[in-house]
Amino acid sequence: MYPTLYMPVPATIERIEDETPDIKTFTIRPAEPIPFAAGQFVELAVPGIGEAPFTPSSSPQITDFMEITIMRTGRVTDYLHTMKVGDEVGVRGPMGRAYPMEAFQGREILVVGGGCGVGPLRSLLLEVIQDLKSYPRVIVRYGAKTPDSIVFRDAQTHGWGQDGAMDVMLTVDEASEGWDGHVGLITEILEEDYLDCHAEDGVAVMCGPPIMMTSGTEKLLARGYKPENIYLSMEKNMSCGIGQCGHCRMGVYYCCKDGPVFTYDEIQHDPRVWDD
Amino acid sequence: MKWTISGSSNLDETLALLAKDRQVYAPESLENGTYRMTRADTWQPGLHTLGEYRQTEPLKALFFPAREFIGRWGDTGDREPMPERIVFGVKNCDLSSLAIFDHVFLHGVDKDTYYAEARDKTILVSTDCSSPLDVCFCPAVGEQPHARQGFDINIAETPNGYVIESGSERGKELLESAGQLLEPASDDLLETLEQQRSSRYAELVEQGNTHGLSPGMDLRAAVEGAFESGLWADFAEDCVECGACNFICCTCHCFLLADGVDADGKAARTKVWDACLYSGFAAVAGGGNARPLRAERFRNRFDKKFSYFPQVMDRYACDGCGRCTEACIANIDIRDVLRRAVDVSDTLHARSSDHRAD
Repeated sequence: MYPTLYMPVPATIERIEDETPDIKTFTIRPAEPIPFAAGQFVELAVPGIGEAPFTPSSSPQITDFMEITIMRTGRVTDYLHTMKVGDEVGVRGPMGRAYPMEAFQGREILVVGGGCGVGPLRSLLLEVIQDLKSYPRVIVRYGAKTPDSIVFRDAQTHGWGQDGAMDVMLTVDEASEGWDGHVGLITEILEEDYLDCHAEDGVAVMCGPPIMMTSGTEKLLARGYKPENIYLSMEKNMSCGIGQCGHCRMGVYYCCKDGPVFTYDEIQHDPRVWDD
Repeated sequence: MKWTISGSSNLDETLALLAKDRQVYAPESLENGTYRMTRADTWQPGLHTLGEYRQTEPLKALFFPAREFIGRWGDTGDREPMPERIVFGVKNCDLSSLAIFDHVFLHGVDKDTYYAEARDKTILVSTDCSSPLDVCFCPAVGEQPHARQGFDINIAETPNGYVIESGSERGKELLESAGQLLEPASDDLLETLEQQRSSRYAELVEQGNTHGLSPGMDLRAAVEGAFESGLWADFAEDCVECGACNFICCTCHCFLLADGVDADGKAARTKVWDACLYSGFAAVAGGGNARPLRAERFRNRFDKKFSYFPQVMDRYACDGCGRCTEACIANIDIRDVLRRAVDVSDTLHARSSDHRAD
């Protein structure tokens, strides 16, 4: 038998949704179910082209298909963006450490996202929404470059905040006509004026581009979040996904098997942690 | 039980019997003074030897090939089973390195079944080093020029005869099957071997001393202590990032899964050695790179071997084989790097101690 750890399960693209000009959500149906937990990632392969790591953006409770939200930003993702419904891809996984949902129970959750980083966070939020009463409060703070580049715009502007289910606030770096929301960096809407939170015992979950992860973590620490309560989805060159190939090592950890979700206190003493 | 070859037999006859029905890998002596691993269907007297020192290519290549075909897209058929193999003349540096690969490919999140099959089907016959190379420095990394564990059979040559012992159940069974050619080793012979091993170890320690390295030095503390220093940039000035040190290394295990199309136009995947000295090694989509500078990549190699592995496996990922020193086109000697790290680390440590004293 060929070693399945290196070969993907075949999967079919069932649906492609344009989120922004350079981000699409692909609905993928694998030949066999690939159950995952929110925060875990998969290797999505394009036959003969290559594969890359992505964290599904769909609910972990759905196992017969998964959605993956992908920005066009490299060789594999450029190719993926040219693919059509019905095309064949492959999935290996799930891989790595998920968000510890049990540890989140009964606590206020602050979800901080930037750009395409909201993919994994949507998966988490879809899980949380199923059981909203277990969390005293769920707060979402999301930043995008422009109103056009807001991912899951309907959910973010309407769905998640509906009837006060969650406290959702968005910001854009640059406004365009018709935008009546906040304008400024994500760190601004983590300030006291825009974020009323219980930092001392709440958990914060963050996923976004490297610059946001760095400045966002600093801001959360300044607001009083404890390092062990700040959950970061780290991004490295996860290639094999199972701690063998060496590419995603960060100090004593492999991002693929020990992460991709780390608490800040696990990685704060490594001088290389923010290297991207 | 330790054995020797009986008076009515000889080494070739013994090895030929051990190798029966197995594919044979053994060192072949080349005119330029090096050895290479040569494959044959039987033990080949005159071609095969047990070797005085390690061959040029690392043993890892027999278990973790430089290019390994993984599979064709959608093809779930079985691969041809690997033949039963026996490797003669394995030196302790190479033998010890396999623990790194076992850790990575057998004892991690998931098991590489190809690697597992290769390990299962390969009998390892180790041999004491009789004449180490100038680049060898195994005592400095806690090793010695003879095997203590990890072998199926060890064969040590002394002026008074061979000492043969098993190190595994299957090695024991194999020796029993060749029992008619063997007889128990005498106490005198064993004593000769012990003295020979002690003096060879002492010689290698002495060789290490001339490069400022000695057994028991804390190389982890040295590399970690010098992490932020300019030492890496100094050496990286000369490095041409060819990756030879990675590929030739007996413990470097990094690889990439390369996707492509085979001759029939079918998508296929191959597992290929990769090198952390290459600029794209830690690059991610979108232009990010955890180690954009050559000095950072050069440092990473030492960080992985002398800091990461001590933390996860309680050992260095270096067995002192000296292949990287031989292979380096820029003449970078790993012993010089380690010695400089010890000095830089000691200096910085002394300075910070002075500072605290103030």
